[in-house]
Amino acid sequence: MNEELDSQLSAMFDGELPGGECELIARRLSRDEALRSQWSRYSMIGAAIRAERGVALHDRVAWRVQSTIAAEPVYGDGADVGSTNARTAAVVPAEVLRRASTRRWARFTRPLAGVGIAASVAAAAILFLRVQGGDSGEMLAENAATPTQSIVLTPEPAAVTAGAAVQPERVALSSNGREPDRYTTPAPSTQTNLAQNASLANYVVAHSEYSGPISRRMALLGLLGSENGSAALPESTAAKDAGAEAPDAP
Amino acid sequence: MTAEESDLVLVKRVQRGDKSAFDLLVRKYQHKVVKLVLRYVRNPAEAEDIAQEAFIKAYRALPQFRGDSAFYTWMYRIAINTAKNSLASRDRSPIRYDLDLTDPEESHGVQTKLQDPDTPEGMALTEEIRGIVNSAIDALPEELKTAIVLRELDGLSYEEIAAAMECPVGTVRSRIFRAREAIDKRLREVFEGGLGRTEEMV
Repeated sequence: MNEELDSQLSAMFDGELPGGECELIARRLSRDEALRSQWSRYSMIGAAIRAERGVALHDRVAWRVQSTIAAEPVYGDGADVGSTNARTAAVVPAEVLRRASTRRWARFTRPLAGVGIAASVAAAAILFLRVQGGDSGEMLAENAATPTQSIVLTPEPAAVTAGAAVQPERVALSSNGREPDRYTTPAPSTQTNLAQNASLANYVVAHSEYSGPISRRMALLGLLGSENGSAALPESTAAKDAGAEAPDAP
Repeated sequence: MTAEESDLVLVKRVQRGDKSAFDLLVRKYQHKVVKLVLRYVRNPAEAEDIAQEAFIKAYRALPQFRGDSAFYTWMYRIAINTAKNSLASRDRSPIRYDLDLTDPEESHGVQTKLQDPDTPEGMALTEEIRGIVNSAIDALPEELKTAIVLRELDGLSYEEIAAAMECPVGTVRSRIFRAREAIDKRLREVFEGGLGRTEEMV
């Protein structure tokens, strides 16, 4: 058996193992019968050293208790049911199972909803930019090729793919259930109005998950209105919105 | 982390649906609880029955356990109350001295009783285990022996043992673990395939 694991088991038995490790060992114990027997023997060794008169050194009480509580209900949502437990677990009430199932669904659907919203906004922005003129694609490509801090833009040459490329990356970030390492915004551009528009579109896409629908709409309206170089207002609106709802965003 | 916190990790797992975590608590404290109950009843088999009842009561009450006190303190109170209630109910019951060994049911009860580990055979096994543990301890290097005795007999924490032995806490942890491993190895050699539980299940 693993010596480090045994050492941790011994320390946990004495209540001298750090909390996090203790939880991990407890989880392991729930499915490792050999380790559980070792735990029993540690208890027996202690009782033998203390020379407890009249106390028989065996697990009879534990075995009887386990047999009896096998018929008892499982507490909580049964999320921590180990294999040893599963062997003897009573039927979990249907209501408990339903609640656990709903929670599991919510865990997956919530990030997907965010991704869906982000993809819709990206598609709207790209369609709009394509309608604006033939050269906008080239301008976007030029902008995309410029190294920026945005997690949305990739070094793909075609601007049209920028929006599509957003999806897998954002799914990956969200499906892990982790926060991204950092939030970034596009670098300020000194290029033409269209380049500013592209930058702003990317910004809106990047932050759409964290902004409210009204603010997002405002930002997109501002983007539409910035055709004649009036992009300053929506940018500030979007920045304000992003700053309000995602405190980690710079 | 203290022993109380370590037990609380197991208690929370039970409250989240892991019954096997309760089994670990029972395995850890069964000997102490039986010893405690033996203050109230003299018969070891009866003490085991009361201990069993106390653990089952504890399991049923566990959803209400909030961790305000240590698990063992809570268990201790349940065990004492169960023992007192058992004594009270026994006082109310008439005592029967006549056993009809021709009655199959009663003779079966006597037979079961004779097979209990608190019979001379059962106690001999316990004494044998105790002997193995003691001889294994005697064979340990002095620093391992001191560490395990201070822990198990005197109930000192690792920090207190480290202060007493003038060594780091990590060394204490290692010494106690190595002492247990050496004793456990001897036990496994003598009782290949497990102790007590295996016998019971057979």
